Amino acid sequence: MHQMTKPKRYWMTRVDRDAPAGVQPEFPTHPQADALATRRAFLKTAGFSFAGLAAADCGSAPQFALPHTQQPELTPGRGYSYASTCGACEAACGLLVTTHDGRPTKIEGNPDHPLSGGATCAVGQASILGLYDSLRLTYPTRGGVRTTWADVDAEILAALGSARQNGRAVRLLTGTTTSPTTSALIRTLVASVPNGRHVVYDPVSSSAIPDAYLVTHGLRLLPHYRFGDADVVVSFEADFLGTWIAPVEFTRGYTARRRAGDQGVSGNAHHVQVESRLSLTGSKADRRIRVAPGDVGHIASHVALRLSMLAGAPLPWTLEEAAVDSAVLDELTERLWASRGRALVVTSSQDVGTQVVCNLINQLLGSYGTTIDLDRPSNQRQGNDNDLQALRAELARGDVAVLIVAGVNPVYDLPDSAGLVRDLERVEHLVSVADRLDETARLAHVVCPDHHYLETWGDAEPVAGVVSLSQPTIRPMGDTRAFIESLTAWSGVPQSAYDAVRANWEQSIYPRAGAADLFSAFWNRTLERGVVELTPTVAAPLVFSGDGLSPVDRVAANAGGLALVLYPKVAMRDGRHAHNAWLHEMPDPVTKVTWDNYASVSPATAERLGVSDGDVVRVVSGDLMVELPAFVQPGQHDGAVAVALGYGRAGTERFNNVGPSWLQARTREGPVGRSAAPFVVAGDGGRRYDGRRITVTKTERRHRLASTQEQHSLAVPGAVAPIGTSEHSVVQETSVADLGHGGHPHEPHPDLWPRDHQYPGHRWGMTIDLDSCTGCSACVVACQVENNVPVVGPDEVSRHRAMHWLRIDRYYAGDDDDVTVAHQPMLCQHCEQAPCEAVCPVLATVHSSEGLNEQVYNRCVGTRYCANNCPYKVRRFNWFDYPREDVAANLVLNPNVTVRSRGVMEKCSLCVQRIEEGKIEASRNGVAVADGDIKTACQQSCPAEAIVFGDLNDPQSRVSTLAAGGRTYRVLEELNTRPAVQYLKIVRRDENESHG
Amino acid sequence: MAWRLPGDNTGYEPVQPVAYSHRLHAGDMEIPCLYCHSGAERSRYAGIPATSVCMNCHQLVTAGKSAVDEEVLLAEEEERPAKRIVSPELAKLYESLGLDERLAPTPGHVEKPIAWVRVHNLADFVRFDHSPHVTAGLACQSCHGPIETMERVRQEASLSMGWCLSCHRDLSEAGIAGKAVHASTDCTTCHY
Repeated sequence: MHQMTKPKRYWMTRVDRDAPAGVQPEFPTHPQADALATRRAFLKTAGFSFAGLAAADCGSAPQFALPHTQQPELTPGRGYSYASTCGACEAACGLLVTTHDGRPTKIEGNPDHPLSGGATCAVGQASILGLYDSLRLTYPTRGGVRTTWADVDAEILAALGSARQNGRAVRLLTGTTTSPTTSALIRTLVASVPNGRHVVYDPVSSSAIPDAYLVTHGLRLLPHYRFGDADVVVSFEADFLGTWIAPVEFTRGYTARRRAGDQGVSGNAHHVQVESRLSLTGSKADRRIRVAPGDVGHIASHVALRLSMLAGAPLPWTLEEAAVDSAVLDELTERLWASRGRALVVTSSQDVGTQVVCNLINQLLGSYGTTIDLDRPSNQRQGNDNDLQALRAELARGDVAVLIVAGVNPVYDLPDSAGLVRDLERVEHLVSVADRLDETARLAHVVCPDHHYLETWGDAEPVAGVVSLSQPTIRPMGDTRAFIESLTAWSGVPQSAYDAVRANWEQSIYPRAGAADLFSAFWNRTLERGVVELTPTVAAPLVFSGDGLSPVDRVAANAGGLALVLYPKVAMRDGRHAHNAWLHEMPDPVTKVTWDNYASVSPATAERLGVSDGDVVRVVSGDLMVELPAFVQPGQHDGAVAVALGYGRAGTERFNNVGPSWLQARTREGPVGRSAAPFVVAGDGGRRYDGRRITVTKTERRHRLASTQEQHSLAVPGAVAPIGTSEHSVVQETSVADLGHGGHPHEPHPDLWPRDHQYPGHRWGMTIDLDSCTGCSACVVACQVENNVPVVGPDEVSRHRAMHWLRIDRYYAGDDDDVTVAHQPMLCQHCEQAPCEAVCPVLATVHSSEGLNEQVYNRCVGTRYCANNCPYKVRRFNWFDYPREDVAANLVLNPNVTVRSRGVMEKCSLCVQRIEEGKIEASRNGVAVADGDIKTACQQSCPAEAIVFGDLNDPQSRVSTLAAGGRTYRVLEELNTRPAVQYLKIVRRDENESHG
Repeated sequence: MAWRLPGDNTGYEPVQPVAYSHRLHAGDMEIPCLYCHSGAERSRYAGIPATSVCMNCHQLVTAGKSAVDEEVLLAEEEERPAKRIVSPELAKLYESLGLDERLAPTPGHVEKPIAWVRVHNLADFVRFDHSPHVTAGLACQSCHGPIETMERVRQEASLSMGWCLSCHRDLSEAGIAGKAVHASTDCTTCHY
């Protein structure tokens, strides 16, 4: 077995890397709290007694079967799918919602959607749990007391009427809404009062981007970034694969471009990430350049200057020396210049000057019209921080009579929260349209809860010209009311949400659609398909104006000082889904920490401060202080301390007992994590998330971080590797040059066991492309939803008992400062020669005639020998009956999958319920199962299209083509388990990874 | 009294809330099984018909022929129009839909499904799907016995796993009516 590239040593934790034997102990050791803590001690003290065997049940009580009284339209027992739009964030991806018995049980992407193309992200997958949240408000309240909609409407109409009469200020504060109908109704409401205004802000602001376009192009807009058209991508801190604007669409375009179509590899693709912390996007970059927080603007200015010289029109700038090597900047600039028209430079910086320089760079590279679309801009970030500042000033002066806050939580999101609370208490009529009593709704006199997005009619136009519909997939579960309906009621012409949306479509959308048929036919057609693309309106092209643009100064070097970087996490984002247990339990793609936020520091800084993982540190800036556990993050800039937003939400105390309650359970106190929102800098130019100077001091306390990064190591120590085989890396990679040489042939290993598994029909297999996988973990959450995987809580996670069937192992290579990252989804490999099958005493795990390693729950007696024997560590044991008392939350369970009880082993089944359903459906229709008919949940959700499942017995199937390709390998191949899951090697495009 | 293993309900013939006769409907009138149990070819559950399915006929057929003829004769004798006769069993259907004997809604109009006693019941860890069996061309009687002769539904077969497997093994070899059949004996065919 030869590898063309030098084998890289991958490690999961720094301890793992530095330890001489290289293998972490598999089982966690916990300090023994008391004498009863060991099993032996417990048995000694508690004694041992037998309960009498319960008498067998001789005759069971009759079971009743209750049919309907009216025959339902839909056959009970079948799943039905409805097209809708995701409301979990502003990206508004197209969805197909699977319903069973009149309620949604699974969210899938809509393959017909031109932007998201059938994929969803982890947040979208998890958002279905928000529908079944028993702590949602289910009725309107007035003064904290339940009331009727007629009552709240009367009060609000009276307030609006009085404001109208006296010319008092009426303000509507919302987040970005991509819904054309909602926007139209908001305009109507605001126009109905003389002193009305609609203020939009984004919880995590991107307002500097439109502000910069106002400077350079004369119009405030957010462009539509087309990552699928860019060979060379340079991102200055923008986490476009993780959280920035539309990660699903961006991931899809980015990975498709790098794959160059049919799972080949594009040699032209190159991605450089310039950032201070190690983000998800940075983990995929071909080259990472570390810079101090807030310094990206200066680096960008250097790039702009160099590009202008290459363009033959040098900018009249004199710049201080950059913090990055001149050679690196030259190479970067040359590569960009060579890819003019196929390059894209983005930044998420909230410094308008930096955004302006970025626009200049894109102009020099000819990105406008190729990789950046200004003609059909995006609507996914409409926040205007200047308007928000103006509103705060008005509130401080007490000028606002009526304030309606809808869909946002400013008391949590914004800094100087105490001041805001004071000001809001002085508003005469504060109305909140929230789904629960969040931090802002608690102050409101009237709370008008909105429907969940799965319960309501709506629409969305995330990018100009792409319009989708939202339809309810369940009757509203409480006495909530769609925001659209509330708007019509408060404008004086009440209309149902359906009527309002339909009327708006007939008036404004249908004319732009260029449809040949009548409106009702168009409506039905679009409702079924979910999305329609409108013929673009030809607008006057925007012209770049580069007059008088100035560079960004270098951040003042603060020797030894630390600066704060605030960022949204991939799972938690801005905190709006803090009530979703699945998102809390999803391990962060880079740090693998669950159920917490923390202060990330680089290894050098950690050593200087004397902290290690879990040491609580105090972060201070002026009057602001927060205490957080520290986390050591390789690859982070030494001057940066990174803290995630979205934590410390009120109401998350509900998760303190989320796991099983047993003798040694350690419950937590207080909310999950701590809020970093006070540290956001709100200034004249918009909210800033980086660069605030802080001091960090170690406290004496420790806080155990529930991280999965040290768990389930697959490393096979040299001492026990089979004799005669070389040690293969678990994560394998290759280079563009080596790919041209074709693959290496899979040498058959000498075998004791005969290859006697017959696969007469289908033979299911899977390939996972490690080059495409970004680690976004949409698959992890999709699997959890589809397969009724329980939530275990932070304590159990720290005991290595997280129940995720599919996990993503994150490996580092390199030293502390400059790491290369690899993400590897690890699931049951469905080995042909499975070590687990050989040792089960009751044959609860056997091999099927179609290549699956089956787990039969009712046979399992809980020996756990199978998990012990599994070299991939993918088997999950139900140590407890995980709490499922919340009846509302149980509605999300998939009826096609057994809910496992205590004592039973479980693992990935390759979505056998979907395989069975697919085969039965095909036989019902009298056709053969076609490739792509059956998709596993992980495959269906993946924005990067990294997972491909199919029939290996079908030579035409995608999976067969990929499996035969030159990039495949099997993990731990030397153990000769012969897995049905194969991986495609990562393609390293940058042989010379230079330091930033 | 035959001795049986726990869980073996062969011969179970419970009294049902409505004295519905399969012998009359499926036997004498030859109503196809799938007319009422329509789920059997489309979903995993064959289903028991909703009351509205019964009403397709029974909004008009309100009593047995002999009772109706008797009333007609009596009405002729008494020289009055014949009254509408509703048999007590069919009155239960109307009650289930919240209707009175003349099919007008009762005060309150409460619809209540008929609480049939389930005869064929498998354990929770078995996932039986009717539709591939129906699609394959198996007659309902293969597993449910001669239902069309039963006044009250009776479980004819043991429905044990061994019983299912023996058929799966035999038919995979023999086929059904000459058509090849792949009845898998993999565990996850029924247990997942």
